[in-house]
Amino acid sequence: MDGGLLGLGAVSQRANSSPLSPATPLPTAVEEGVTDAEVMLRVKTGDQAAFDYLVHKYRRAMVSFMYRMAHNSAAAEDLAQEVFLRVYRSRDTYAASAKFTTWLYRIATNLAVNYARDTRHERPENTVSLDQPDEETGLTMDIADSSLTVEQNILRRERMAAIRKHVQELPERQRMAVVMHKYQGMDYRQIAEVLHLSESATKSLLFRAYETLRDKLKDFV
Amino acid sequence: MSCKEIRESLPDIACGLEPASAQVEEHLRSCTECAQKLNEFRQTMSLLDEWQAPEPSPYFDTRLHARLREETARPQWGWLGWLRKPALVVALTLLLGVGISLFRGGAPLNRSNSVVASAAPGTPVGDLQALDKNHDLYADFDLLDDVQVQPDVNP
Repeated sequence: MDGGLLGLGAVSQRANSSPLSPATPLPTAVEEGVTDAEVMLRVKTGDQAAFDYLVHKYRRAMVSFMYRMAHNSAAAEDLAQEVFLRVYRSRDTYAASAKFTTWLYRIATNLAVNYARDTRHERPENTVSLDQPDEETGLTMDIADSSLTVEQNILRRERMAAIRKHVQELPERQRMAVVMHKYQGMDYRQIAEVLHLSESATKSLLFRAYETLRDKLKDFV
Repeated sequence: MSCKEIRESLPDIACGLEPASAQVEEHLRSCTECAQKLNEFRQTMSLLDEWQAPEPSPYFDTRLHARLREETARPQWGWLGWLRKPALVVALTLLLGVGISLFRGGAPLNRSNSVVASAAPGTPVGDLQALDKNHDLYADFDLLDDVQVQPDVNP
């Protein structure tokens, strides 16, 4: 499988749960050792189970990516679904020349950028609050930690708001690179392929982004 | 190794993606500024870890399959797919309408615009303008050849 592409091991070291690995075991429709590109070629021939396998494998990663790019949980799910719909629509033209995840993240970054541009003038009251339960799922994004005091919870929320604000304020490419590097566990080469940059340019891009975040978030560490 | 060479690798070291090499370790022992920066990056990364993303909702697959069913049930438009974009259709219709109206009405419009002012009748310019508008005269222009003209009378 193409699982190593996303640095699953590295991610699981840094977070309690990797956004990139599926929460439940993968369906057994695809044998071990088959790459995602090969699975996608099966989708091309009309194999629905192969498509379901890719959805199952990457839905967490896509929701997580879109959530941090869109800052809106409801939109994140819709956008993640749209990514898979586009994958499905493009199955006939898919060529296994690029790695599947590179192709997947290119679709996702295009969608996320377009969404951000389309909604940049929207008033805050028109967006879903991260602190309010989702109307459909009832899930709350920032659930108060019952083990903390009221004051600690307030401070935690302030930290969350600061992180979101300063990540969102990064230039578009820096923001995408940080989300892919920090939260999706992708390395410089993979990010460079998605963003059509050289590895050294990606390294510089990320360094500038982290320098900004280090400076802006120093009061919260 | 210089500070510049090391600094770009600090985010990866701070993330835990890349172990610090022996050279980097050595530099960090001798350069308090870089060591301080690595420490700050570690704190920043730790802070960023607090931002957790939600899990996909339990309805994710159901919704996606519903959207897929809609997608496959929809008729395939092929090259006529652009007709499904109302804004594009309206824009093209308007463009076509404007183009036709310009093509059909453009010539008289230009002509009327080009006439600056009508000269008074009886003046040479006025006579020429009247002649220019006299389409019947041009239609019967050949008949002028048959008209008998009285020869000039010399004094």
